[in-house]
Amino acid sequence: MTRKITIDPVTRVEGHGKVTVHLDSEGQVQDAFFHIVEFRGFERFVQGRPYWEAPVLVQRLCGICPVSHHLAAAKAIDQIVGVDPDDLSPTATKLRRLLHYGQILQSHALHFFYLASPDLLFGFDAPPEQRNVAAVAVEHKELARKGILMRKFGQEIIKAIAGKKIHGIAAVPGGVHKTFTPEERAYFQQENDTPSVDTIIQWARETVEFIKGYHNKNYQWLDTFARYPSGHLGLVGPNGELELYHGRLRAIDSLGNKTLNDIPNDAYIKYFTEGVAKWSYMKFPYLKHLGRKDGWNRVGPLARLNVCDSIPSRFAQQEWEEFRGYTNGKPNNCTMHSHWARLIELLHCAEMIKSLLADDSILGNDLLREGTRRPEGIGIMEAPRGTLIHHYQVDEKGMITKCNLIVSTTHNNEPMNQAVRWVAQNVLNKQPKITEAMLNEVEVAIRAYDPCLSCATHAMGKMPLHIALYDHQDNLLDECYRD
Amino acid sequence: MNATGTNQARPQGLLNARNTLLVGIGNNSRADDGLGWAFLDALENWPDFEGDIEYRYQLQVEDAALIANYDSVVFIDAYQGALPEGFRWEVCQPAARFEFSTHALSPGSVLFLCQDLYQASPAAFTLAVAGDEWGLKEGLSVRAQANLQHALHSFRELIT
Repeated sequence: MTRKITIDPVTRVEGHGKVTVHLDSEGQVQDAFFHIVEFRGFERFVQGRPYWEAPVLVQRLCGICPVSHHLAAAKAIDQIVGVDPDDLSPTATKLRRLLHYGQILQSHALHFFYLASPDLLFGFDAPPEQRNVAAVAVEHKELARKGILMRKFGQEIIKAIAGKKIHGIAAVPGGVHKTFTPEERAYFQQENDTPSVDTIIQWARETVEFIKGYHNKNYQWLDTFARYPSGHLGLVGPNGELELYHGRLRAIDSLGNKTLNDIPNDAYIKYFTEGVAKWSYMKFPYLKHLGRKDGWNRVGPLARLNVCDSIPSRFAQQEWEEFRGYTNGKPNNCTMHSHWARLIELLHCAEMIKSLLADDSILGNDLLREGTRRPEGIGIMEAPRGTLIHHYQVDEKGMITKCNLIVSTTHNNEPMNQAVRWVAQNVLNKQPKITEAMLNEVEVAIRAYDPCLSCATHAMGKMPLHIALYDHQDNLLDECYRD
Repeated sequence: MNATGTNQARPQGLLNARNTLLVGIGNNSRADDGLGWAFLDALENWPDFEGDIEYRYQLQVEDAALIANYDSVVFIDAYQGALPEGFRWEVCQPAARFEFSTHALSPGSVLFLCQDLYQASPAAFTLAVAGDEWGLKEGLSVRAQANLQHALHSFRELIT
């Protein structure tokens, strides 16, 4: 008899996913899959709309990272109005970067303090009612308050530049919508109801120290849990440095050999393609020249710190050197080190925000540039969860005729499936009973990628956990729900 | 909702318009999921309401700090299902036991964090408005529009 274990939906990730683990009659894992069961259809939704609406419309893709979609679309639409990234005014570029760093900072803070920390602080074996933010708030109040304030700092940056924390307008074709005032700058440089940027940097450094201390005590499982060889993909700057807003695409294999050698954004279509699977709505991107089996890559903090040659901020660079030193300069393929990498990036963003705030040119009023219309635009950037691609084509009237989005979590589709298979084979295999802790380990492996599956719709009271067992003919053997 | 299906949890006398926060939750690219935002949009030019409004795709942890600044808070969200009057008021209770799925916080969990971390206890209510359609589409369904008007009427009665 074959049994199928279903975990639906995966908790503490954005959107709805489902995990199925297929066991044979001996309890051996036959295979495991991470299904994405919600069809978004957003690309078609955008088609037929005027190009200038795209940066606003795409914010509604996601409740967690609307700014990333906004900026990636804006970068693509810049090209449609004939403005290349280097042709934007320095003020516009810096304000967009400031917005972007604020977005990544708040997203990384949310993930670590409120989604990942319950697993780290309380362990896999803790009951579900303890493995959540409520327990963190009760037992680690200071940590919880700092997490809230770090996220608030990022949100206030977004609000200052976009006008609102949510569905604001920061970027417009060819530039940005509004100036940044000296008063707004001073707000982030001084202590207010929101911490100053110096305090945020200090807290970010403390948080990196926390994860390193945690790592020292728990390295045995952090170094091995859901570890598997993979390619890594991310943007780098002209000197190979970590680049989050605009750069060239670099990929390496699990040994560190370059598989994509710093190609420009508009060449992505030549190198990437997407596979499909009948059991998931989410596609599987891979490098054409390596094929589907070997051409997939992880994206996100771990991948970015693997592909770059340095980090252009003082404290984050120091931490990156220690991070890379841990694997002797070789690519780090430890899934659970994603949390460490994410916190180094959080520190980097805080330092970059401080640097930008100190730059008087962010106060300038040269906001917009114009050019000659083109039929196509491609915007690629590093969203909190990884490489994000927006590609648009428009007709002579400016209506969008084609939209192709490859979001970060899509790149991580195969990596998350690999992580689920690792857990299934190493944790669930031949166990007489599937325990709550075992099921949570499946979810922990997925959560390391901070996936954002399709979160932009919801209503009250519709998120139970559904676990179901099926036999080899898909007859339901057992199931349970947790509200 | 109580056993009789009526809306007895209306926050009569508790909504101080000057220190009330309305939080609309949803996404107006998802048809009736935009009900929470549509409710706030309808109040924009309504002079009798002097409180604050916030739009949210999801409630998040920092909202605990936000609501700590108010005497009363109303979370307005779409509801999947039928409601006798098309909408439903409920007193929001702090939820010490979080739902297993915590990627988007419930109003109760935000209230719990507010009390636990900031020692503040605003009077909190949820206003659920029933919708029908949830696909990628702008604009509310006919039934959702009618339900929204009923909910707005109820709210205005409480304020004026």
